[in-house]
Amino acid sequence: MKKTWLAAWVAIACCATNVAAEVSINGFASIKAGKAASGDTLYGYTDDIDFKNESLFALQVQSDLGEKLSVTAQIMARGANDFDAEFEWAFLTYQLTDEWRLNAGRLRTPFYKYSDFRDVGYAYDWLRTPQSVYDLGFNTIEGVSLYHSSNFSEMQSNLQLVFGAYDGEVAVVGTVSPAKINDIVGATWELSQDWLSVRLAYLMGDVSIQASSLNPLLAGLTNIGLGSVAQAIDFNEDDGSFFGFGLNYDRNDWLMVAEYTHVKVEDSFYANQDSYYLSLGRRFGAFTPYVSYEKDEDDAKPDIYAALPANFPLRPTIAAIVNTQWFDNTTWNLGLRYDFHPAAALKLEFSTAKDKLSDNKDSLMAVGVDLVF
Amino acid sequence: MNWFKVMTLTMALIVNAAIAEVAVIVHPSNAVSLDQSEITRLFTGRGATFNNGNKATPFNLAESAPARAHFDSKVLGKSSSQMKAYWSKLVFTGKGTPPKELASDAEVKAAVAADANAIGYIDAAAVDASVKVVGKF
Repeated sequence: MKKTWLAAWVAIACCATNVAAEVSINGFASIKAGKAASGDTLYGYTDDIDFKNESLFALQVQSDLGEKLSVTAQIMARGANDFDAEFEWAFLTYQLTDEWRLNAGRLRTPFYKYSDFRDVGYAYDWLRTPQSVYDLGFNTIEGVSLYHSSNFSEMQSNLQLVFGAYDGEVAVVGTVSPAKINDIVGATWELSQDWLSVRLAYLMGDVSIQASSLNPLLAGLTNIGLGSVAQAIDFNEDDGSFFGFGLNYDRNDWLMVAEYTHVKVEDSFYANQDSYYLSLGRRFGAFTPYVSYEKDEDDAKPDIYAALPANFPLRPTIAAIVNTQWFDNTTWNLGLRYDFHPAAALKLEFSTAKDKLSDNKDSLMAVGVDLVF
Repeated sequence: MNWFKVMTLTMALIVNAAIAEVAVIVHPSNAVSLDQSEITRLFTGRGATFNNGNKATPFNLAESAPARAHFDSKVLGKSSSQMKAYWSKLVFTGKGTPPKELASDAEVKAAVAADANAIGYIDAAAVDASVKVVGKF
């Protein structure tokens, strides 16, 4: 239903342009192939070579309706989603003043420095954004976004305020479940000059997830008068918050990018997550080799079951669910971008991720071409 | 074909394509004076007005034009690939639209000569009295 409505909206936008203004059509695509080491799995790849998992195609139609109003729709087909086309973005833009701009519709949630264009591989050097950090889901929101950009001396400031809601799905204990984040309020601020930029992001919202895999347990706890324990586990309008800090250095062909994020959802069994990465690269003409280190450390909440009597029958079940949230992972990536064509870049990346809790190691070699047109 | 030949041919192509200087040009009636950082601001979409407050309409050269790579590297300090990556960040997030691209020095010169708000750049050797030069790089 939502898709039909959006399609109609875009159709209207396209027709309107016959009367009025300029339509621009742009697109981007990534064709990526990867193969994990024997017996390993990483980022959706196994040890069989796969061309589909991270490949994607996107078309963007933007129509300038004049009088400072424009409409943009981006349709993307992801290999991981069987190339079913979906609207990733669909919004109208109203340029309030030279400095203030309003976007309304379906937008990208501005968690990370590269959130807005993480699918546009051509726009960055890595084969993929560092997954230890870029792993939250909830990628799009329906809402409004207010941008303010200004220049003072050699500095540029970009402030984004966002309001909206997320309505989609998320995997909880292995089961894809309906998820909602209501009353999302957030702000991001990026201050940059020629070779250095700093970014801060803070978002919060009310998280509700109907996790069917948890429901029998939650109902059982409530029935025996342990509703407070059920509430400490479930996602029922619980306060979620996201903090992000990013740093970017690009001078004399040396490149450094780093991001740190902290995510938590109060009154739920969801771990407090800390993750960061640091990436270093060097441009040699058309070649940009890079190395990056990622860390993802999640602290589970054993307090949820610690107070329960040791012989309480549901205690092991609760402990097992809570303890799935412990996570301590480090990843090294070594890669190369090669600008072999004015509109396309070839990328190679070798990744090796280590789960420090199980001592399990997974390695992956991936190669891809990112294009813009 | 041996490697030496390939190299020589490649060098010959690069030398043929290279130009000595680009001239940044505006309409003859435009009294504005611009430095490199102001030109960069206009050609990267970070500003839409000249420093006197008048609206600015930048015209870019297509990538096939020799002056384009020279302008990207000498004035903007980036390779053409980096500029394309820069614009794709803005275009695919609804944050900006790159300047209109014209195919040749002659087209940019004609567009700038016809528009009091225009700013463009061409091979300095192609400048004539129809436009005013505000900087050479």
